[in-house]
Amino acid sequence: MGKQATEMLKGTLEGIVLAILSGQPAYGYEITAWLREQGFSDIAEGTIYALLVRVEQRGLVDVEKVPSEKGPPRKVYSLNAQGREYLEEFWRTWSFLAERLEQLREGGK
Amino acid sequence: MATGPDESKSRYLQYLEKVTGPLEDKRRYRQYKARVKQLPESYRTAAEAMERYLMLLGPADGAGAMAMYEDLADLFEQSAADGTPIRDLFGDDPVEFVEAFAANYPLGQWRSRVRNRLISAVERAAGEEPGRQDRTE
Repeated sequence: MGKQATEMLKGTLEGIVLAILSGQPAYGYEITAWLREQGFSDIAEGTIYALLVRVEQRGLVDVEKVPSEKGPPRKVYSLNAQGREYLEEFWRTWSFLAERLEQLREGGK
Repeated sequence: MATGPDESKSRYLQYLEKVTGPLEDKRRYRQYKARVKQLPESYRTAAEAMERYLMLLGPADGAGAMAMYEDLADLFEQSAADGTPIRDLFGDDPVEFVEAFAANYPLGQWRSRVRNRLISAVERAAGEEPGRQDRTE
């Protein structure tokens, strides 16, 4: 993954993670694994964790602690009503941005 | 640092905490230290390096800092249990991850003072009413 892609991804990572959680609840490791499968290979696992801490603090996700066979209980994150609202706003902002950038590209031809 | 008046605390404890800082924070910090000690060596080394950085540049004081250290211990315990490689945890730029992590907690006294000084200096320079915005959380 190039440097430019990594930089662009930073601003949208929160929306991406919330979008993943809108499909189904997941724990941190699953989210990172999914991102890697999709080719977002440069994202540090710690960065995802920091992001999950933040969305939890802001009340966008619900957290359930599930006991695991090895190690500490896992935190499973699921999108709540406030998170869904936030995600909708994210997609509106994204559409706006994508549209404007497309206009810019066409205008530059 | 202030925990607010707590009627249930004895006068002696209130006095002691004036001198030592909240005892509850100290207990939580000791617990965090014990958890880090239990980690496999490479995770412990990395966690301690992160702690050193946060002590200097993170929210070094207050209850917010204790929540941060507990989250840090959660992360390293989980990573050790999953066998997440240290490099996958930190990524190519450890500073970027650690700063993103620290940004979730209230600023330390020193950094918030410096920020507020900048904010009010710009307000004065712009000829605005003081206290128009306050970025301290």
